[in-house]
Amino acid sequence: MNAHAIIFYFLETLAAVSAIGILFTRNVFYGALLLITCLLAIAGLFIFLNAEFIAVTQILIYAGGVVVLIIFGVMLTAKISGKPLVVKNQNWLPAVAAGLFFFGLLLKLFSEATFASNSHTVTSQYTFINQIGILLMTDYMFAFEVAGILLLIALIGAAVVASTFQPSKKAS
Amino acid sequence: MENTLLLNWFIELALLAPLASFIVCFFIPDRYSWAVPILANLFLLISAISSFCIFLTMPAHETYLLQFDWFRMHDYTLQANLELNRLSVIMLPLVSGISFLIHLYSIGYMAGDSGIKRYFAMLGFFTFSMLGIVLSDNLLLIFIFWELVGFSSYLLIGHWKEKPEAAKAAQKAFLFNRIGDAGFLVGVMIIWSNTQTLNLNDILSVKEIASWQTIASLCIFCGVIGKSAQLPLFTWLPDAMEGPTPVSALIHAATMVAAGVFLLARIFSLFTPVALIIVAITGSLTAFLAALFALHQFDIKKILAYSTISQLGFMITAVGTGSESAAMFHLVTHACFKACLFLGAGSIIHALHQAQQQTHQSNDVQDIRTMGGLRKKLPITFLTFLLAAASLSGIPFFTGFLSKDSVIGGALTWGGQEFSWKLIILMMVVATSFITTLYSFRMVWYVFLAKENGETATVVESPWIMRLPMLILALFSIWLVVSWNPFMVTGWVSTFVGKLPHHNFTTILSTGVVSLGLAAGWLLYARQSAPKSALFLQRAFNLDSIYKKLFGQPTLHLATALKRIDRHWIDGVLHFVAFSNASFAHLVAWFDRHIIDGSVNTIAWTAGLVGTFTRSFQNGKIQLYIFWAVAGLIIFLFFLLI
Amino acid sequence: MMFPAEHLLYLSALLFSVGMMVMIVKQNTIMMLLGIELLLNAANLNLVAFNQLHPGLLTGQMFALFVIVVAVSEAAIGLAIVLRVYKYYQTSVPGEVNELKD
Repeated sequence: MNAHAIIFYFLETLAAVSAIGILFTRNVFYGALLLITCLLAIAGLFIFLNAEFIAVTQILIYAGGVVVLIIFGVMLTAKISGKPLVVKNQNWLPAVAAGLFFFGLLLKLFSEATFASNSHTVTSQYTFINQIGILLMTDYMFAFEVAGILLLIALIGAAVVASTFQPSKKAS
Repeated sequence: MENTLLLNWFIELALLAPLASFIVCFFIPDRYSWAVPILANLFLLISAISSFCIFLTMPAHETYLLQFDWFRMHDYTLQANLELNRLSVIMLPLVSGISFLIHLYSIGYMAGDSGIKRYFAMLGFFTFSMLGIVLSDNLLLIFIFWELVGFSSYLLIGHWKEKPEAAKAAQKAFLFNRIGDAGFLVGVMIIWSNTQTLNLNDILSVKEIASWQTIASLCIFCGVIGKSAQLPLFTWLPDAMEGPTPVSALIHAATMVAAGVFLLARIFSLFTPVALIIVAITGSLTAFLAALFALHQFDIKKILAYSTISQLGFMITAVGTGSESAAMFHLVTHACFKACLFLGAGSIIHALHQAQQQTHQSNDVQDIRTMGGLRKKLPITFLTFLLAAASLSGIPFFTGFLSKDSVIGGALTWGGQEFSWKLIILMMVVATSFITTLYSFRMVWYVFLAKENGETATVVESPWIMRLPMLILALFSIWLVVSWNPFMVTGWVSTFVGKLPHHNFTTILSTGVVSLGLAAGWLLYARQSAPKSALFLQRAFNLDSIYKKLFGQPTLHLATALKRIDRHWIDGVLHFVAFSNASFAHLVAWFDRHIIDGSVNTIAWTAGLVGTFTRSFQNGKIQLYIFWAVAGLIIFLFFLLI
Repeated sequence: MMFPAEHLLYLSALLFSVGMMVMIVKQNTIMMLLGIELLLNAANLNLVAFNQLHPGLLTGQMFALFVIVVAVSEAAIGLAIVLRVYKYYQTSVPGEVNELKD
């Protein structure tokens, strides 16, 4: 049991616990904060898996952007009353049943499967960042361009969808 | 018999005219109640004339049958016939004639009475029933008319409904009659079971002597005991004096009580010697005791009532000693003079009542101690009363002497093995006739010949309509009516009642006894040296209270106990059954409501549940859509990978 | 270093399930978005975990990068929709937005 393993397990536990915390919490804001915790834990795990770039991207974009966005959403959709926004849980029985079943299924699947390990290591003289950049421009060029268009569409789309503030009809 | 059609008419008129009188008097509206006495008398006159026509045209030795088919079953027809034989031919004019005279008398006596419609109606009905007894030839029919006579007697005794004593007396009369009739019915049943017929001619033609005849005849004698007031069922007759005096005259002197004697004479050949002994003992005992009681009464009607009982005892003794002809003869003569005596008593009471209303006194008008010296004030009444009382005592030159003589003669000639019985009965009969003379003398003396009491101030004689019947009846008490010879019966009577026993010895004996009685009466009563009468004799040995304690109260207790049983147990059972029925019904209702309806409701609810569930697939909730998608994915993976 | 593949796989399976449960159970549209993020992160984790099997190739990481891009755009559009729906129906409870029921 070395420090690696301890931190590894710790991060795993943190991710799991915070995810389950999102499930049990009633407060939307707490849920968002727990999501940040989870994302940061996953980012830590990424680092352990030699995926530093992904880890940083995760932190920057997810934890820094998406969750902030979500928090903005929370504020915008909450009635300003000073009380914390508390939501109910409904349908928990079928959901828990389905979730547990799915989890069990996946566990079973994973425990029975063996994954062939390609032990051949290709070492490169570039760092991971370099490699990712080269790959983006060579192998994944098309995906890169498409990703850019996707981001543009998303940007315009979000702006359009969210911008027109017509007088709201009463919810039926 | 020539001219049978006319005879049929006469029979039917004689029988049905009183019934018509009943119907008319009962249903006439109150506006015309002034016509009721006239109409009733008219009907009874028709009946009396028809009866006399029958009497005069019908020879005594023939019998005539007017046949009616009562009902038919298959090939068996029950006939109800009206028979004219020598007995009924002499009873017919007696009953309807005396009834007509009583109707005449009642016009005067019951004038102004509020229930006069009822009175004449029931008198007519009574006459009809009595004639029915006389004319029937079927035992069952006789029994029916017997009951009807008892019923009319009940209504007539209780005519003055407001008097509680009258109601009680009527009830008592009916009850005692009923007790006797139970025995009568048993006798009828015994006869039926042995001879399969109830026709009197058939019954009386049974030749052999059997033990059932004894029992049957004694049972029928029970009915006679009840109806003719013999020991022990006689206490109703003195109480029946609560009714109007004409009623007492008709029913309890002349006709109804005589029905028993008539029945005995009718079925005489059914009696075996053993039964006859019992009959004779009962009759003579009754005669003697009743005469004793009559001697100590102070109410004039009660004296006459006990006298009736005593004379009926005479008649029954005559039957028992084997001479039913003497009994019938005595019945006929007794009817005339006793009715006359009662009418006389009624006349006295009526006159005293009128007098009291003027002087506003309220004594007991019937108490002979308050009367006296009425000879001058009521001369016609005195004359008729005297003649009838003389006949009752058996003084020679009167019909009563002749009939009593034949009774004593019959007792003498009674040829039975038990010599001792014969002597005892003979002595009792003689003693009774002595006492009869005594009390008749006492009665006449106290009422008419004694010194005036002072209260009888403004007494006037009764109206002519009341005096006429008394005169006619007194006339009938004189010997010339019956036979030319005052000492021996010759003439038409024997053809009807049969050969009458006659002995010179008995004639002399009875004459001597009567003279003795008159002398004793003069000594005791005229000289005012009568001994004080014992209370228990006056109350007829307290038989009444003994009966009440012995029979009345236990019956009442039994009735109360039965009522309690009925209310608690029988009603309890019924209530329990009803209650359990109701609870069962509730149970069934619960079952129906909850289980049967419940199962139907459950099915409906399940259908609703399934519907709601299936409907939830499309309820527009995003999260349920997601859930079902995940569920489908799980299933897909499950079957793909496992 | 040793590749604890099972742990990560189990973790990603857990995250995936929890994300699905969050999506179904929560009665707030924003929380549904959180659940979606969890799903995507679980997938990412899985990709990067399998990347370990092929140390020279960076396929898994590239895939994960694009997943992040898609996730971001999806989150932005989703949030816009949520805001629109909120403005129209005045409610952020997804159960009440059921006009599509039959």
